[in-house]
This record gives sequence, C-alpha cells and structure tokens, in this order.
Amino acid sequence: MRGLFAVYKREVALYFQSFIAYAIAFALLGIIGLLFTANIVFLLEQSQIAVQTGRSANIQLTPLITQNMGIITFLMFLVAPLITMRLISEESREGTLEVLMTLPMSDWSFVVGKFLAAWTFFTALLGLTLIHTGMLAAIGSFNVGQVVFIYIGTWLYGGATLAVSIIWSAITEDQLVAAFLGAATVLTLYLADALASVATGQQSQIGDTVGEFIRQLGLNTHYNNLLSGIVRVEDITYFVLLIVVALFMTSLVVSTRRWRAS
Amino acid sequence: MIEVNNLVKRYGLFTAVNGISFTAEPGQVTGFLGPNGAGKTTTMRVLTGFSPPTAGHATVAGYDVFENSMDVRKNVGYLPENVPLYRDMSAIGYLTYVGEIRGVKQRKSRAMDALRRVGLGKRAKNTIRTLSKGMRQRVGLAAALMHDPQVLILDEPTIGLDPIQVLELRDLVKDLGREHTVLFSTHILSEAEQICDRVVIINQGEVIAHGEPVALREELERGQRIFVRTEEAPTTILSTVQAVEGVAEAQIERDAVIAIPNDIQQDPRAAIARALVENNFNVLELRPAANNLEEIFLELTRGSTEEDDIDDELAGNIESSGVDDDNEENEVVAESSVSETPDKAESEV
Repeated sequence: MRGLFAVYKREVALYFQSFIAYAIAFALLGIIGLLFTANIVFLLEQSQIAVQTGRSANIQLTPLITQNMGIITFLMFLVAPLITMRLISEESREGTLEVLMTLPMSDWSFVVGKFLAAWTFFTALLGLTLIHTGMLAAIGSFNVGQVVFIYIGTWLYGGATLAVSIIWSAITEDQLVAAFLGAATVLTLYLADALASVATGQQSQIGDTVGEFIRQLGLNTHYNNLLSGIVRVEDITYFVLLIVVALFMTSLVVSTRRWRAS
Repeated sequence: MIEVNNLVKRYGLFTAVNGISFTAEPGQVTGFLGPNGAGKTTTMRVLTGFSPPTAGHATVAGYDVFENSMDVRKNVGYLPENVPLYRDMSAIGYLTYVGEIRGVKQRKSRAMDALRRVGLGKRAKNTIRTLSKGMRQRVGLAAALMHDPQVLILDEPTIGLDPIQVLELRDLVKDLGREHTVLFSTHILSEAEQICDRVVIINQGEVIAHGEPVALREELERGQRIFVRTEEAPTTILSTVQAVEGVAEAQIERDAVIAIPNDIQQDPRAAIARALVENNFNVLELRPAANNLEEIFLELTRGSTEEDDIDDELAGNIESSGVDDDNEENEVVAESSVSETPDKAESEV
C-alpha cells in the first residue's frame, strides 16, 4: 500500500507538469467546446423560432451532456494510449524499473499506483466538462440522477480504456508502439458493436451466439445502457472486471521481466 | 551476510550462472570479480530479489531470496549497473521517493544524511539531469543507503568515472564495508585488491577462485607473459632476455620485449631483472603483461591452441556473455592455472 501510494503521488504530480497532459486537455476541451457552442446556437434558434411561431419549445438538455460524453468516449482511443503510453515503458527503458522491482513493493501495487494516477488525470479531464454541464444547469433544468449516472458511466469507461492501454506500455519499451497498439485495442472494443452485427448478419445460430458474445465484450454495449439511465449490475461489473483483468495482465507482464535476461 | 549455495540461473537454454557458492561476511567488502558476461550482474539480481534463481539457494541477511523476497528487499541496498535514476527529479526528491516506498521514517532528514554521506549535501536540490556522471553514481549509492540496509550490493559502481571520482568512490565503499555487508562487483583486479577483504572470481557462471585478494593476484600472475621495458631499444635486450633460465621465448612488441615463461608455475621476473642489470641495461619496467582481470583471462588462455583463434573466441565470449560449448577449452585452461587456489585460500583464512 505504501509503495502504491508513493508511485501514485509521483505519477499524478508528473501529469500536472507534463506538456502532453495539457495538450490533451486543451484539444479535448477545444473539440467539446466547439460542438457545444454549435449546439447551443442551434437550440437558441429553435427556441426563437418557437417563440415567434407561438409554439412551446420543448428543449431537452440531457442530450447535450450525452453528446459531450460521446465525444470523450469516442476520443478515448487516442486519449487513453496517450495518457498511459509512457507509464511503464519509460521505466523499463530507463532501467528505473529494475530499481523499483528490488524495493519492497509488489508488482501489483506498482501497476495499480500507475493506473490510479492515470485515472485521476482522466477524472480531472472529465471534471472540466462540468463547465458545460454547469452552464446548462444555469439555463435550464434536467434529470440530475441521470446526469450523475452518465458521468459515472463515462468515468468507468475511461478507467477501462486506460487499463487496457496500460498493458501495452508494460509489454513494449517503445512509447509509440505502446500508443499505437493501445489505440488499436481500444478502437476494437469501441467498435465491438459493429463487429457483432457482422456476425449476427450471417443468419445462423452460431453467428448469433458469436455476435452476442462480441457485443457483450464491447464497451458501448454497456456504456449505452448507463447513458439511457438504466443502471444494471452487469454493466458496472463489466467495467470493473475489465479494469481488474487488464491490470492483472499488466502486473503479470511486469513480473515476467524477473524471468527474462537483460 | 550473504550465503550463496549452488546457485543456478538459466534464461531459456542459456545458463548465466552455473552452480556458484560463496559467502560474504558482515563488516567486510567482498569483491565479485569476473570478465564482462561472467554472470556477476545475474547473481546480483538474484541476491537483490529482482529475479528468482532457477536452482540452488541464496540467503541475504538471513532471508531466502526466493521464499522471503520482500524481507530480502527490505534489507538490501542495491546500486545497479548504469545507475538508473529519474532524471526529472531532484536528488533529494528521488531519495525521499525511494524512502517512501521503503517506509523510511523521517525521510527528508535521512535523505540529507545519505546525500552528505556521499558528499552531495550541497547538491540535494539539483535536478538529477544536471548532475555529472560521478554525482549520479553517488545519488544512486545514497538511495541504496536510505534505509541503512544490512547488505549493500553494488554492481560495478566505478565504471565510467574519472580517476578522482573512482578514488573517492573506492574510499566510500571501503568505509561502508565497516558497517555493512558489501558485495561489490568489478572487472578490474587492482580495484578489488585495493578495497576488498575477500574476492570471489567467477567466469562463465562458475566460481573459479576465491580468497584474499593478494594471494589471488599472485596466483593469477604466475605463468603469465612478462613485459620488459628498458631505456635501450628492445632489439638490443632481446637476446639477453631470451637467454634467461625459465624463459621459453621472447619477442618484441612495440617498445618492449615480452618474455614467455616455459613453466606455468614459475616466475622468471627476478632472473630477468638480474640478467638485465648484470648486462648494464637500464630497466624501466618489469611486470606481468596483464594489468586487469580481463587481460589476465586472455593471458591465461593464451597458447593453449593457436593464439588468434582463442583470442577472438574469448573476446567474443566476453562480449556476448558466452553461450556456446566451444568455451570449455578456455574454461579448462583458466581453471587449471588457478584451480588449486580455492583450497589454498581457504586454508589461509
């Protein structure tokens, strides 16, 4: 626990000093901000038209939040690998991993400390979108409970993609390779829905089973449930399990270093 | 206290360490000598709890490296070769970080003590990136001292330092040896001689000699080619050297004459000196041709087959940490020259 906390503290501090972290935050907020503004302008026009024509404007605000989160979850295939690529690969390339592995700290603590730091940074990113949500809250009202679950869902989604990307950072010493493979993995999980429909399109029993299986592995299957305000244990379990399994695999990969030459 | 018993470490088919045994006592500096690729780093990695042994046992500070890895790690301070550090941290920041993982109390003051100990008290706030190689080496050493460990394991700490830094570091290691069990690896024989109370020599994953450094040096020097340099040109002294009893052959190598003894157990140095002085030559240098351990290994294996072949082969082995079967020949030769050493050294202790 001691080691975990020390690793976590150092990594979090590094995020808030690193250029790439600010670049990611800037890019993400920029994209969200642009689309958000466009939406607000569109909604304003709608309501003006409504006022002019004397009809009541039925404006839904929750979809705006959902859309913001949709941008984040889509961009996670880039953001997650960028956040995690150096976490472990840098340590093994610089040789500092060898020192850490001779300190009284388990490989698991090391990996979890790293992951929690990345997740903390992601949480901060997610926190920044409260600016938009706050603005919406000021001009209208929405179902707070649903919005809370949208945020929790996105938060879990982010954690899962980070955990999956971290595996690659442990496998390769090359940050770029780690980022690329991480992006490919997250994108595959993101697109599992589409892949599943290919299988189900075969009109066969096996195709359906395989399709459903792939669909259940996908991130969006479970995320979309949370977005629509349906909270099911299995969806939460999916994200938590994905995180735990990915971290366990990362920790195994780190441990194999003890058996390898050089 | 370090006890190593029949330790074997294999990586796939490659045997890096092949059944070595030795002990390192508290209050002593134990030198761990061997050419590059002999298995020194591998052994040290096993002893620090970094990697588990394939077979055999090792206990460090009373704990088994395999069964009580965490306890071993708590009691060991390790300075790896190349001294990996976080370059973006300050020296004191790095030490407190290591101390935090180790659960050291009063980290700041302990870190300052450790830095002062290695002579870096004034550089504590400097970013590691800005420190010189020698200073980084000392930051690494200070980090290994953070928790005041019973056992210190230092992997070639003097490599790449300038001569003054080397001297300072040797003094420091010698000093640390009084309170800790220090295992110190090097491939420079004279270095081991200067700071170690005991020396363990390994080659190709096996202990080939251990004992007190002076005795070992004599043992290793015996039978070596002898380097003779005089004020006069080498051509003028060649015949004199050749005529000395116990010299099988003499040849010119640049500005000196190299004499090859005809018996591996004999040292014709005294006889050569006498002959040269009697003939009124002005002797400038008379010494074993090899100065460091690697040269001695090359020397010991010279002449068993055609020189060039064996040189290349051995050089190759040293570079690539020797994997193949062809090495056996070298090994046998090296062993035969010093094989009686362990017993002898043991009996002396």
